[in-house]
Amino acid sequence: MLKVIAACGSGMGSSQIIKMKIEKIFKKLGISVQIHHSSVSEAKNLASNYDVVFCSEALKGNFANAAANGTIVIGLKNLLSEQEIEQKIIENVVNKK
Amino acid sequence: MNIIMTIWGFFQNNILTKPAFFVGFIVLIGYLLLKRPFYEALAGFIKATVGYLILNVAAGGLVNNFRPILAVLKDRFNLTAAVIDPYFGQAAAQAAVEKAGKSFSMMMVVLLIAFIFNIVLVLLRKWTKVRTVFITGHIMVQQSSTALWMVFFCFPQLSNAGVVTMLGLLLGTYWAVASNLTVEACQELTEGGGFAVGHQQMFGIWLTDKIAGKIGKKGKKLEDLELPGFLSIFNENVVATGILMLVFFGIIMTILGPELLHKIDNTFGKTQNFYFYIIEKSFNFAVYLSILQLGVRMFVSELTESFQGISNRLLPGSIPAVDCAATYGFGHPNAITIGFLFGALGQFLMIIGLIVFKSPVLIITGFVPVFFDNATFAVFANKKGGLKAAAIIPFISGILQVLGGAFAAYFFELAKFGGWHGNFDWDTVWPIIGVIMKYGKYAGVAVVILLLLSIPQFQYRKNKDHYFTIAEDYESYASSISK
Repeated sequence: MLKVIAACGSGMGSSQIIKMKIEKIFKKLGISVQIHHSSVSEAKNLASNYDVVFCSEALKGNFANAAANGTIVIGLKNLLSEQEIEQKIIENVVNKK
Repeated sequence: MNIIMTIWGFFQNNILTKPAFFVGFIVLIGYLLLKRPFYEALAGFIKATVGYLILNVAAGGLVNNFRPILAVLKDRFNLTAAVIDPYFGQAAAQAAVEKAGKSFSMMMVVLLIAFIFNIVLVLLRKWTKVRTVFITGHIMVQQSSTALWMVFFCFPQLSNAGVVTMLGLLLGTYWAVASNLTVEACQELTEGGGFAVGHQQMFGIWLTDKIAGKIGKKGKKLEDLELPGFLSIFNENVVATGILMLVFFGIIMTILGPELLHKIDNTFGKTQNFYFYIIEKSFNFAVYLSILQLGVRMFVSELTESFQGISNRLLPGSIPAVDCAATYGFGHPNAITIGFLFGALGQFLMIIGLIVFKSPVLIITGFVPVFFDNATFAVFANKKGGLKAAAIIPFISGILQVLGGAFAAYFFELAKFGGWHGNFDWDTVWPIIGVIMKYGKYAGVAVVILLLLSIPQFQYRKNKDHYFTIAEDYESYASSISK
């Protein structure tokens, strides 16, 4: 089971959107996941407990430490684009396994 | 007959007038209708109810933490004060509604009616020209709360059923029409990203998109700016709120002085240092805000998910209107910081202005409007007008946020409870709607709804050929205008 966290500024709006979208794509790709969503500050502290972090491209810099420790950090340009999400999951998660 | 009345009485006393259980049961029934397994529905019920109870704790804490300071300001300087922030606004509205002896559960009923009406307007899009469904759950909760108080304030005699029906239609119209206004701006910014903004500054986004190109040119690049690194700490909500509250309440409490504060606030220990007391008191606002957001997140995530499901099932081809932060990926990070900084500058200058001109309401900057509204404006402004527009528009917005917020907090008497909604549309469009409601009564509400509904008609007239293609098929739109 892949552990995933979606993050945004307040932990309410866009992280929820990301969560709903990636849930759908992971299901489509047949990868079993557990997804949480939270604010960036929370996610920053928790990132090492997760396999993958999703956030807006603009906030990716916050997770430099987690990325250095081996957590996969995926920045999204269009949070609602299933095409972008699918491509980035295949690129960063599926092909790295 | 008696049994029915007893059951109804039980239902009314224990569920209908208790927002926590009311929200819980809505989620429970919603999940069962969506044919989810029972254990998932039960989990949803618990999360929604607990989330709401958490929110109650926090809203109470927020108002109580503020109360002694408000009392002294009133006593000493004949001043009231309001933090312009949707969470403070929501807590203040809840306190005001409950003080008027009404049940806050009606907020949820309003929200549901408004959501359904938004869907109806989209279903009838052939005539209404509405293309968007507003699905940003936490915003819908905040706006329903503030608007519910506004209606109680303007129509104290109206029956509960009348209040929720009237406000449901009004708010649903606003959600549909205002988010629909952002379609063109969003589609151009995101090059066919397929979403609109459903947040708190939709009229502002539309205005920004219209005027940015006139203020500046794309010449001077915001992307080349080198901004100091310490500004990144404002990315974190808790840190930003802590700093803002410390600055504002630090100044206020220093002016009030330790003796007075000892007298009115028994949480100020006899041996405690004055400045550490100020820090603790200011940080408490960040504490309650964090708890409030935790609660909102718990019950709203259940709501947003089902809204998304409903709108996908019922309305293929419609555009979801989502959180304004979804646009940030399409702007340079500098745009977000510039918007926040110039918005804050506008707000601070205007607050000084309020003090100089002896306004009866003191405004305190809240994090959400100054950051999220102005960052969003800067992203849109930069696209069409470059750095100059990305600085000037948030600056003006900051001024309007304080001015409109002060007027609204005073006029709708929420300054007594220390908060006003404070986001751009709620400092401009909504105070106007409120004043029309107050003096125009039912006719006023009808006029507002009709005026709002006429907006998409004008948009459609101006752009008949592309009105629906820009939303449904951006690529064919883009190729047809480049010909």
